[in-house]
Amino acid sequence: MNPGLRAAASGMAAQQLRVDTIANNLANVNTTGFKKSRVCFEDVLYQTIEGTRIVNYPNSETVGPMQVGRGVRAAAILRDHSQGATVQTGRTLDLAISGEGLFQVQRPDGTTAYTRDGTFTISDTGAIVTSGGYALLPTITVPPEATQLNISATGAVSATVANSTDAVQLGQIELARFVNPSGLLSLGENLYAQTAASGQPMTGQPQADGFGQILQGTQETSNVDVVEEMVDMIAAQRAYEVNSKAIQSADSMIQEANALLR
Amino acid sequence: MTIPPGIIRSARTLSYYSQLEDVTANNLANVSSDAFKADRITALLSQGAATPVPVRQIDLTQGTFRDTGRPLDVSLDGPGFLVVRTAQGERLTRGGSLHLSGSGELVDMHGDPVLGQDGPITIAGAGVEIRGDGAVVVDGTEAGTLRLVAPPAAPQLAKEGAGRYVSAAPLTPADPASLRVRQGAIEESNMDAIHGMVDLVAIQRAYTANVGALRALDGVLGVVANDLAKP
Repeated sequence: MNPGLRAAASGMAAQQLRVDTIANNLANVNTTGFKKSRVCFEDVLYQTIEGTRIVNYPNSETVGPMQVGRGVRAAAILRDHSQGATVQTGRTLDLAISGEGLFQVQRPDGTTAYTRDGTFTISDTGAIVTSGGYALLPTITVPPEATQLNISATGAVSATVANSTDAVQLGQIELARFVNPSGLLSLGENLYAQTAASGQPMTGQPQADGFGQILQGTQETSNVDVVEEMVDMIAAQRAYEVNSKAIQSADSMIQEANALLR
Repeated sequence: MTIPPGIIRSARTLSYYSQLEDVTANNLANVSSDAFKADRITALLSQGAATPVPVRQIDLTQGTFRDTGRPLDVSLDGPGFLVVRTAQGERLTRGGSLHLSGSGELVDMHGDPVLGQDGPITIAGAGVEIRGDGAVVVDGTEAGTLRLVAPPAAPQLAKEGAGRYVSAAPLTPADPASLRVRQGAIEESNMDAIHGMVDLVAIQRAYTANVGALRALDGVLGVVANDLAKP
């Protein structure tokens, strides 16, 4: 089988995957705390047809090995954990992290998941939970009679309880961060899980040890840039077309060779 | 009956163009591969030779940079390579999206360590800064310096796939004045789709022309074999 045909076909498949990823990014352009992804491609095996050789004897000019590549494959899909823009919502339990860090939440199986989506609510037991119902860690319980919930930039949660004018400290939000956040596993529902690739979580308080600050009444929007995605989509579509042309061209060459025999 | 030399020459030329087509197809397939370097084929006509010899050169021209903001995306600005330790020996790469292994070692996308001056670099901490000279700084303390090597001479350089290169010559340190490491950026493929399309058209036309030449020769032989002997 003509290797050029296969190389071009792998190129079309690669661009298809790129468009799939762009489509998911664009679908999540309004998802709170969403982080966009990018596909990384790499070349595959090379066939060495002829090794390094000397031509033009006796002038002995050396030319490099003659190698033909066999196409492309997707090496990885990497998430970009850069900061999204923040928007003010005014809602007490909308929290955004400005800077490094992820909120820690508890999943039903007891493991810890991480999220940048700070849209919290209060559960029936008074615990601060995500919109999906997962409890924020360390657990913070808001008494039913509490009013004026206040979360400081350093993550201290306080409230004024009825019949008192003094604020009572309810808890402290702790953030986690990873040396390689793009190694985190996406669980859906804006949650991530730790993997060997992400490294161990380092926990700490907001505004300390390089962690970002908490913004109350604010949401972090998706970091998808629509214009950038559209430009990538155009590039992917053109690259898809050009690979289909390479298939056509290889095909017509085979046809012509076949037509030699009368 | 011996095959006339004209037919052999035409056949060799056709095989040259079909190789050229394979190489161009591979270049086009890698039009969005990170740090991909296109292959250029030129025909070298040696003294006294009847048919050209295809000569492959890796076009090491720098691709454009794309900012990704990912701290472990590393690319090189200038001529040179990073070194990866694989089971088969040391391999060269132009960088890309690096990762951390389970033990915190800086590895490439296939899990092979990217070497520093004193072997693999271990990153334990949360904030990684990679400086222009290749120094890897983790939470304010230097964890190592990336090993940067100069590009070997063209005949010594072969591709291995996965963005890796093999050097037949011993590795020499890169010139620090002309090579900078860029963090949070990816070097895009240096394959230009327009260039590739033009190549495709030229290859196809040249192939067609040579098929025509071969057919003409075949026609002459047909006359000789079938018509001349007729009474």
